[in-house]
Amino acid sequence: MKVIIKNWTGVATWKWIANDDNCGICRMPFDGCCPDCKLPGDDCPLVWGECSHCFHMHCIMKWLQSQQVNQQCPMCRQEWKFNNK
Amino acid sequence: MAGMSPSERRLQKELMSLMKEPPPGVSVDVDLAEQNLLQWIVHMEGVTGTLYEGESFQLQFKFTNKYPFDSPEVTFIGNNIPVHPHVYSNGHICLSILTDDWSPALSVQSVCLSIVSMLSSCKEKKRPSDNAFYVKTCSKNPKKTKWWYHDDSV
Repeated sequence: MKVIIKNWTGVATWKWIANDDNCGICRMPFDGCCPDCKLPGDDCPLVWGECSHCFHMHCIMKWLQSQQVNQQCPMCRQEWKFNNK
Repeated sequence: MAGMSPSERRLQKELMSLMKEPPPGVSVDVDLAEQNLLQWIVHMEGVTGTLYEGESFQLQFKFTNKYPFDSPEVTFIGNNIPVHPHVYSNGHICLSILTDDWSPALSVQSVCLSIVSMLSSCKEKKRPSDNAFYVKTCSKNPKKTKWWYHDDSV
């Protein structure tokens, strides 16, 4: 039997590759979004620090903005630096 | 969870996990917390083999809508305030994670554990040396106190 495919629809799933399931700040799943957003994905991305800890970008930004002096990772208290690699 | 603020959503999750897996000797008044997620009462038992064995205490947690970016206001309340070098007789606690060293990764559970361990490591039951002066002059809110953290031994 010979089948000729006339058209097809691709379906894909995605997930963030993080070393934890939940954001340490808001406690929501990384595959969901931060509590201020409605849709997970590119609009509510994850970011990593040089210390390797990972958070929703909106969550870590809120924390860093609330700290006037030492900007530290909430998990390990090392100075927070974005890992741009 | 619909209709809840981000702070309340996180507190609701914390309440569930504290109910399921409370640290030893710690229990939360769930009904009260569910009525108002921004104010909790936590019961704490003195650990066996420590100076506080057989005693029980009550902690009050007050949260703002900036939680967890803003630390909770935590005080001992009720008629048994533990006699401890870092606990004032009005219930205020000198503990750095409650102000300067707060992190949004901490939680009610980790604060309870710190307080349990602070009590358990105590070797002599006594009030802070400046208790009388502090209690007379402090603000009602311990977060308004400029704490001077100097003693890590207990």
